[in-house]
Amino acid sequence: MKLTRALGLVLTGWLLAITMLHGGLNLQWFDREADGTKSAKTFGVGFLPVTCHLTCPVTHYINENMEKADLFQPMRFSGWPELKEMFIGRSKDMPASFILAPMAIALREQGVKIKIVHLGHRDGSAVMVHKDSGIFQTADLRGKRIAVPGRYSNQRLIVFRELKKVGMTFADVELLEMAPPDMPAALYSRAVDAISSGEPFMGQTELDGYGRVLWQAKDVWPGFISCVLAVHEDAIRDHRDEIQRLVNGIAASGKWIDQSMTHRMDAAQFVAKNYYNQNPRLLEFVLSKPPDRVTYSRLKPLRADFEEIVQLAKEAGVLNGTAGFDEYVDDTFAPDPATVMAPAFEVKK
Amino acid sequence: MSSSPPVRNRTSFQLSVVLLPLAVAVVFLFAWHAAVRMSGSDIFPTPFEVLRGLGELAGQGLLFKYVVASLFRVSWGFILAVLIGVPLGLVLGWFRPAFSALNPFIQILRPISPIAWIPVAILWFGVKDTAPVFLIFLASVFPITVSSMAAVQNMQQVYLRAAQNFGLGGFQLFRRVIFPAALPQIITGIRIALGVAWLVVVAAEMIAVNSGLGYLIIDARNAGKRYDLVVAGMVMIGLIGLILDLLVRRLEKFDEVRWGYGQR
Repeated sequence: MKLTRALGLVLTGWLLAITMLHGGLNLQWFDREADGTKSAKTFGVGFLPVTCHLTCPVTHYINENMEKADLFQPMRFSGWPELKEMFIGRSKDMPASFILAPMAIALREQGVKIKIVHLGHRDGSAVMVHKDSGIFQTADLRGKRIAVPGRYSNQRLIVFRELKKVGMTFADVELLEMAPPDMPAALYSRAVDAISSGEPFMGQTELDGYGRVLWQAKDVWPGFISCVLAVHEDAIRDHRDEIQRLVNGIAASGKWIDQSMTHRMDAAQFVAKNYYNQNPRLLEFVLSKPPDRVTYSRLKPLRADFEEIVQLAKEAGVLNGTAGFDEYVDDTFAPDPATVMAPAFEVKK
Repeated sequence: MSSSPPVRNRTSFQLSVVLLPLAVAVVFLFAWHAAVRMSGSDIFPTPFEVLRGLGELAGQGLLFKYVVASLFRVSWGFILAVLIGVPLGLVLGWFRPAFSALNPFIQILRPISPIAWIPVAILWFGVKDTAPVFLIFLASVFPITVSSMAAVQNMQQVYLRAAQNFGLGGFQLFRRVIFPAALPQIITGIRIALGVAWLVVVAAEMIAVNSGLGYLIIDARNAGKRYDLVVAGMVMIGLIGLILDLLVRRLEKFDEVRWGYGQR
């Protein structure tokens, strides 16, 4: 039959051509150099392009440049649900991930065998309002619409905590769950009155001239934790050395970021270009204005911090508190922050 | 003398085929530009900013890479859907017990959006190319199966009677009569399914693949104020969708298909 034969030939040719093109352009099938230098044994570590996860790409970059080998493969996601599904569903491919602290604890409560082994950062979150709005203090949020990243985010809990200080509850505001990348546009168009999320999305509204800081996490909840590094118990049991190297790398690269403003600006450049695909100006802004907007030095998980998070989350109705600190945290990997040394790495210019 | 009017008609027809859509596009672009300027928005991009964004992507070599990645995923998902959907539809259309057994199941699965399948796709396939291919396959296999099934069920009885008079049966009946008779309607189903397959590319590439036009849109949302790239991704998806539709329409020129269409 003329048509089926012609179609069969054309489609087979097309499939071959598009597969080879895709393999060559996007999967580096024919890239001999890549084959030679990358180890096939590296495991995946999930992250999102946010400053809370900055130590993930920084560790990878420093390791790649100093050791000329991959310790792990950073796996970039665009949103929390996909990251969480990959993390809990495909633990062999991605045994470790940066994840929201309450989400990690909730997963543990629900029976997912993961442990928090390290923090991702301290501070680095804010609540922003429109620069022309009449909101100047927490009490002004009464009856206003506030966007938060999701029920298991500490950016939701920080709103709860601040409302509580002035005798208000979630019943006094209108909470709206929204993906952080969509928040700046929502604030710009005044679809919401306030947005609560991690950086760089809050800094973006300031940089673009329509956002005003209502509060920075560092000012109202010093040492604020949003994201942590969590690992599957299987990987802790079977690959302890690799996990220890990962944690050491994260701790050391955190120290490196905090060591000098030059390092912060270098990190903004190479992370924005090679990992986040963002304008480096944005990361430069949130890593420097002010310099302690987000910090990466005190990253050992501490019982008091987590117990406060769990207590708040229980009051806010998102955790039931059935998992204890020792169940959801394994702090044996995390080095004492005072002993962590920054790697002797400088970006070649 | 008698040949000149048809030539003039044909020329004016070709002109209208090109000029009318172009005129609509110009009016649309002008209205878009004016709307952005009048609203004073510095977030939503003008057509020029989108063009500049496309130029930037092309300059970095990303545009071609992303188009190839999306076409790769849609090609595999869609062709697998054709290879499974057409035979399945023919069988279901012909064998009544098979139809009774499987049709309710198909009708349950059919309205489930590919977006709802994303968690399942990640759990089953991880975040490699197989997951988006699976989602595109799911989106396109049901329209193809249902149109093939309906094509056989609605086939004119006269073809069957004639074939039976000639003593045809079994696989020969399928190959020589049922399939050719159903082909025009199957092609219509395939054309619709290709549109659907291309439509779900954004949803399918929401999974953490690191290339593709859908990924470009999701990635641009993460990149701060880069709505020019979001719209650039939308424009490219639209333009390639148009080209795909024009290509599938060429199938209608084959004799095996053309007989099944009206003359208008």
